[in-house]
Order: sequence, then C-alpha cells, then structure tokens
Amino acid sequence: MTGVATAKLHVYILLAGLGLLGALAFGRPELAALAAPFALFAGLGLASMSAVEIRAVSEVDLERQLEERHVTLQMEVAANRAVDHLELVLDLDDGLVPEAPNPILIHLSRGERRELEVPIRCAHWGTYEIGNVVWRVRDPFGLFVYEGKLPARHRLKVYPHGETLQRLLRPLETQAFSGNQVARNRGEGIEFADLRPFTYGDRVRRVNWRATARRGEPWVNETHPERNSDIVIFLDTFAEARRPDLGTLDISVRAAASLAALYLREKDRVGLVAFGGVLNWLTVTSGTTQLYRIVDSLLDAEILLSYAWKDLDVIPPRTLPPRALVFAFSPLLDERAIGALLDLRARGFDLAVIELSPYSFVPEGDSEFGQLAYRLWRLQRDALRTKYASLGVPIVEWREGVPMEAVVEEVRAFRRHARVVRA
Amino acid sequence: MVALGLAVAGVLLFVVGLVARSAGAVGLGLAVIGADYAVLFIAEGGALDRFTPAYAAGFMLVAELGFWSIESRIPAWSDPAVPEWRLARLVGACIGAAALAALTLVAGAAATGTGGLAVESLGVVAALGALVLITVLVGRRSVDTH
Repeated sequence: MTGVATAKLHVYILLAGLGLLGALAFGRPELAALAAPFALFAGLGLASMSAVEIRAVSEVDLERQLEERHVTLQMEVAANRAVDHLELVLDLDDGLVPEAPNPILIHLSRGERRELEVPIRCAHWGTYEIGNVVWRVRDPFGLFVYEGKLPARHRLKVYPHGETLQRLLRPLETQAFSGNQVARNRGEGIEFADLRPFTYGDRVRRVNWRATARRGEPWVNETHPERNSDIVIFLDTFAEARRPDLGTLDISVRAAASLAALYLREKDRVGLVAFGGVLNWLTVTSGTTQLYRIVDSLLDAEILLSYAWKDLDVIPPRTLPPRALVFAFSPLLDERAIGALLDLRARGFDLAVIELSPYSFVPEGDSEFGQLAYRLWRLQRDALRTKYASLGVPIVEWREGVPMEAVVEEVRAFRRHARVVRA
Repeated sequence: MVALGLAVAGVLLFVVGLVARSAGAVGLGLAVIGADYAVLFIAEGGALDRFTPAYAAGFMLVAELGFWSIESRIPAWSDPAVPEWRLARLVGACIGAAALAALTLVAGAAATGTGGLAVESLGVVAALGALVLITVLVGRRSVDTH
C-alpha cells in the first residue's frame, strides 16, 4: 500500500527548520520553543508511519432483482491497525442508487470489525458489478494519506420491470404445435367452428344430436384447434433518442421483456432479434428457460455506432420462422432499420411496428430555422408512417407515458380493419 | 511598523490559503506570522518571553485547524467517533506543544552562553537537515511503506 505525504508534513518540517535556524541566527530560544512542537509532530508522524491494509468482505442478498426494487449489500470492514479516519466510498454504476449514506467516514479501533449494511435501489435494468469499494485513510497526525480499492466481487442482474397487458396481440396464422391460441383453420379442438354433414370416419362424439334430429341425417360439429404461435421480438439497436434518465431503448427493452414473458406464459414460442451495430439473436423456443435467455440477452442490448450497411440477409433464416408475428420496436431513426422492416413486410411476415416516439427526447429548436427543421422532420416521419400503413403494416406511435396496453390495442384495431397485403 | 506589516501579510496569506484551499499559502502565512514573532524580539530584545508556551500552543492550534479545514475530503456521513477523536488529538497536540515549548525555553535559557561554536554548529546542521528532509519529501511525493 502506498502512503502519500501530505502538504502539511512539508509545511511543518519547513516551519521547524526555519524556527530553529532563526533561533540560532538571532540567539532567541523562544523561536526554538515555537519550532520544536512542529519538529516533534513531524518526527512522530514519520516514526509512526506504517502500512495500512483495509479488508472488506461483502455479500449481496440477491443476484437478480427487478427494476425499482432493492438489494442489500452487507460489508464487514477491518484494518490491520487502528484507523482514526477511514473514508469508504461504495462505487456504484449509474443504474444503482445507494439508500444509505455513501460515502461514509468511520473510525476503526484495533481489531474492530465494522459491519455496514447498504440498501441499494435498482433504478435501471442492466448487469452490474457490485461491491467495488474505494477507501482512504489518514494517519493520526494527518501527515500521510493511504488510498486503495477493493474490487467488486458480485454480479447483479437487474431485470426490466414488467408492463401489464390484458390481451395479447395474436398472429394471423398459428403454428403446428398445440397451444393456447384458437387457430383459424378447423380441426380437433374445443372451440366450436361450424356444422357439417357426417362423413365416413367422423367420431360419434362429434355428432351434434340436435342438428341431426332437426335435419333427419347425421351432422357433426367442427371445431377450431388450439395451437401455439411464433413471436419474434425485433429490437432496433442502431440508434436511440435519449435524455439522461430515459431513452427509447429503455422503453423497448422493458416492453420486449414483458411481451416475451406474457407470450411464453401462453405456451407460444418467442425469439429475439436485436438488429443494430451488433446483431444478437435467439431462435424461437418456448419455456421458462427461454424467458431467462431473452431477458439476459436484452440486458446486453446497447446502441453501438456502426457505419456498416446491414439488411435482413445478415439475420440467420431460422430466427425468422414462417408465419411468425414480428413485433418490431424501433424509434425509426436509422435507415437500415427502416429498410429492414419494409423488407420483412415484403417477405410476407406478419409485422407490427411499435414506433417509439423520439419527440419527447428531441426539443424543438429556439430559432426560426430550428423550428422549421423540427416541423420538416416531423412531416418526414408522418410520411414514413403512412408508407408503412399503406403496405398493411400496423404502425403505432408509442409516446412516453402511454401504457403498453393502449399501444397493443391500437395495433389490434388497425389489424381488424386492414387487410394483409402479400408482396 | 515592520512587525505590523508582517502580521497583516501573514494573516492575509493564511486567509487566502484557507479560501483557495492552498496548503502552500497556509504554510507561507504561518511562516510569515512566525517571522513576525522573531522581528518583535529583534526589535524589543530583553528578557525571555514567559508567554512563549502559550504562543506555541496557539500557533499549533492555528496550524492544525488551518490544515483541517483545507484537507481534501468528500461530503460523507461521519461516524460520531471521528470528530471526537480528532478534537481529542488536537487538544493533546496543543497541550503537548505548550509543554514542549516550555521545556525548550527552560533548556534554551539554561544553555545561553554555554554553547560555544560546536553546539551552534550542531544546531545549524540540525536545522539544515530538516530543510533537506523536506526537499527529499517534496521530491518523492509518495512514500512506499512496504
């Protein structure tokens, strides 16, 4: 450990030296008497200088937590000798907020072990290293300062908090596996679809006796089968609009995590494509493990600046299965993402675009030209939205503060009235 | 007039050092105040000053408080024991300074006229040694304690 001499030590030795020289030069013992305490103080400080070693054992009660909830970091601090003045700073990333005093200034007696408990609020989703402590010790005379760092030992995953949704958006077509969604076609199921005359091979339990009695010949019930569906969550990570506390990526990650959890609960298969500077994907699968995979993958989502032109060809084909509903979250700020979404539609995917409105993140300019540019930009975005709508793509602008329920309902309303356009 | 000028300059330097959080200015202010004390003796001469231990304690108190106020720190919650220990040390330092000054004064007065060239040379070497030590410390900045 390195101790650094403070300016006080230099000054005290200087004062002692000057005082003693003055006493000799002028023959006055008073000056020596004035200087002697400083000489003694500096001498004692130098003589008592010894290595300081601070040890801290820390423990976090949880490894995973949801946004806006708390974890508790417990630390036990000890030193190899008595420490009068120990400054401890728990070095936390921006997304974590300590809810106990930080930094703290404590006194440690010889052999004392101080237990500290720091509740930490998980303010933002992400993966964090927790337990990084920076310390500073002053010697009892204030002549030397020792500093050190105790490395982080714990990893904390903060998952985005869920958005509530009463009804999920259903894909236009279902898959072959059984699930919770009533398919549009007919087959073995529970949901009544229609009546038809009995044909050879129909099971007797399917006979509708009332209709048979009325018509005088056997009629059977037809049903819709319950099938699962494939959902691909498409995240645009090329660009985002953000201010210090919130960005469009934050909103889309929270929404994506919620949708993944809700669809997986319905036995659907869910996949993820983070399309941006770095391409990240997960093929569609169902189950709780897939939920953790998706959320862990979302925690790694970040905006990385890239000038490389990318289109749908870079995405592995199995990531986008046929007849899947592609739920795209994008602020529509990057040409590559806009082009990729249009391409998806052209390839016949069932696509729903949630446009994360960047307006609340981009202030209107003060000058006349600034305001003009802002209005033009908004007009351009309106035109883009119209283009998507004309291709049969439900596109909904998600403004800050609006619940996801309303956005999904708007997509559902669009799909009720629009027709699928096959490219 | 010189003594008054030095006193004003010393206090001003000290205050500037506190405001600017400059250890150099605080140290210079203390040195100028000390020089002012020397100038008073040169101008007035005469017998030993009986109040020197009190001055030494006061000088130490001013120096300690001055450096306490400018030391680098972060706004932190403080254990109540920390300022208590520090105040106790400060009081101890002032009492120790007064006692040591009194001892030095008595020893100095007893030795007046009995030193000779050898003792005075030893004193000069000791004082110069202190100055060399500070130069070395300033040059090294940090001291490895391993």
